Amino acid sequence: MKTMAIIVRDDGYDKILTPLAFAYFAASEGVQVDMLFVNWAVLALTEDGARALKIDGAHADQDALVRERVAAAGLPNDINTLLKALKETGNVNFYACSLAATLFGVDEDNIIPEATGITGAAWFINDKADKADHCQYF
Amino acid sequence: MNKPKSNVTLDTSGKSCPMPMVDINRAIHELNSGEILEFIATDQGTKMDIPSWCERTGNQLLSSSEDNNTFRYFILKS
Repeated sequence: MKTMAIIVRDDGYDKILTPLAFAYFAASEGVQVDMLFVNWAVLALTEDGARALKIDGAHADQDALVRERVAAAGLPNDINTLLKALKETGNVNFYACSLAATLFGVDEDNIIPEATGITGAAWFINDKADKADHCQYF
Repeated sequence: MNKPKSNVTLDTSGKSCPMPMVDINRAIHELNSGEILEFIATDQGTKMDIPSWCERTGNQLLSSSEDNNTFRYFILKS
């Protein structure tokens, strides 16, 4: 596998960990990973949004415990630092879906510098997802 | 069986997926061809991950062992 495309929709802290962990592993092995953040997940590409991510729903009361265990597992336990670590591999690109950016308030002023930019979903699907060796949706 | 003599030891004890694999990818990059990495892990996932990774990357798994939930692998860099 040389290329991987990942579309991330869910913005719960726990739900966003899995695609980031998979991307980290793949990137460490030299796979080019392109990630499109859609819907509420686009907020992870802002410092405030990443900081605000929490575990939702039935497991909300375990947020602190999960963060403690994530750190023990060796991963950065805040999402912004994890995004930076992925970017430092040199093999990961982050894209904000333009629709999601419009709907949820992400723009050139608040998007993190690690993100490549705000892009159309059509471009990502055709130029990244369709051409990738492997595609994942979260 | 004697343990192979390693050039470098990487101990990922306590870490969980994906970090042992992230770390081994970094470590193997620092080795020269023909050198041996001793890789220690407590993540159960490495039992499947390491043989698969060796096959995929062309590095040779010389031996693997388990002792009290600690896994030890000796890998020859191709």
